[in-house]
Amino acid sequence: MAVFRWPNSLDPWSGLRQMQRELERLMGRAASDSRSIGGGIYPPVNVLNGSDDLIVQCEVAGVSKDDLDISITGDTLVIRGRKLPSADEQNVRFQRRERGSGDFSRTIVLPDKVDADRVEANLKDGILTIRLSKSEAAKPRQIRVS
Amino acid sequence: MTQSDDIKIKVTPSAPNPSEKAVAPLVDIYEREDGAVVLTAEIPGADKDKIDVRVDKGVLTIWADGRSVDMPENYAATYVGFSGAEYFRAFALSDEVDRDRIQAKVADGLLIVTLPRAQAVQTRKIEITAG
Repeated sequence: MAVFRWPNSLDPWSGLRQMQRELERLMGRAASDSRSIGGGIYPPVNVLNGSDDLIVQCEVAGVSKDDLDISITGDTLVIRGRKLPSADEQNVRFQRRERGSGDFSRTIVLPDKVDADRVEANLKDGILTIRLSKSEAAKPRQIRVS
Repeated sequence: MTQSDDIKIKVTPSAPNPSEKAVAPLVDIYEREDGAVVLTAEIPGADKDKIDVRVDKGVLTIWADGRSVDMPENYAATYVGFSGAEYFRAFALSDEVDRDRIQAKVADGLLIVTLPRAQAVQTRKIEITAG
């Protein structure tokens, strides 16, 4: 169970978002039955918490590297991007249109403090993977009982 | 597009056998001015080697494996919005599509299949000659 806290972040809704996350988790929308793929222009994300780092995965099929913008302020990560429409030429006749297109922005409140200078982002096969190193203070430390 | 790789189209009697859990990828289909039909499917997480595009008896099937996105070990999932999936979808082709000239390529998690129209069925403007 995650600890509910109200961090001094710039995002006024972070507390609510955290509550929503917890509720979704309780409602059973866990990894096993999440089946959302290609979520239009609201790309789905995964946040994974390791002992030394955090991994944020974002599904951005059809978005090129140049159309992505990632920024970190405190413990808030923002992924912005643009999904271009399938047809780049004029005078085409669409028969089916299921994919969305347009600008998107996702704000993720990270569960731990991170070192903003040590962030790696990698885009492969339409999956954006951001690896953030935790700041020293946030890493778990084993305390020996003397 | 960052980079794109061409996918070889297979023409075989047996279609791939997707598992029950396979999901239908989202597609856009549009017709270009020259009559060619372009199909764009979202297959995030699928590597070039794990994509199969086939044409058999007038049915185009696309299969891709994007399950490699699954969780790395020793990480607790704080929030999960998506997971890797196996993709499968089949489309009936019209007789007007030139089966031999179908092309497929993959870039940034998108599979783009171009289905050109056979020469014989392309719209031809007929000139009227004065009698």
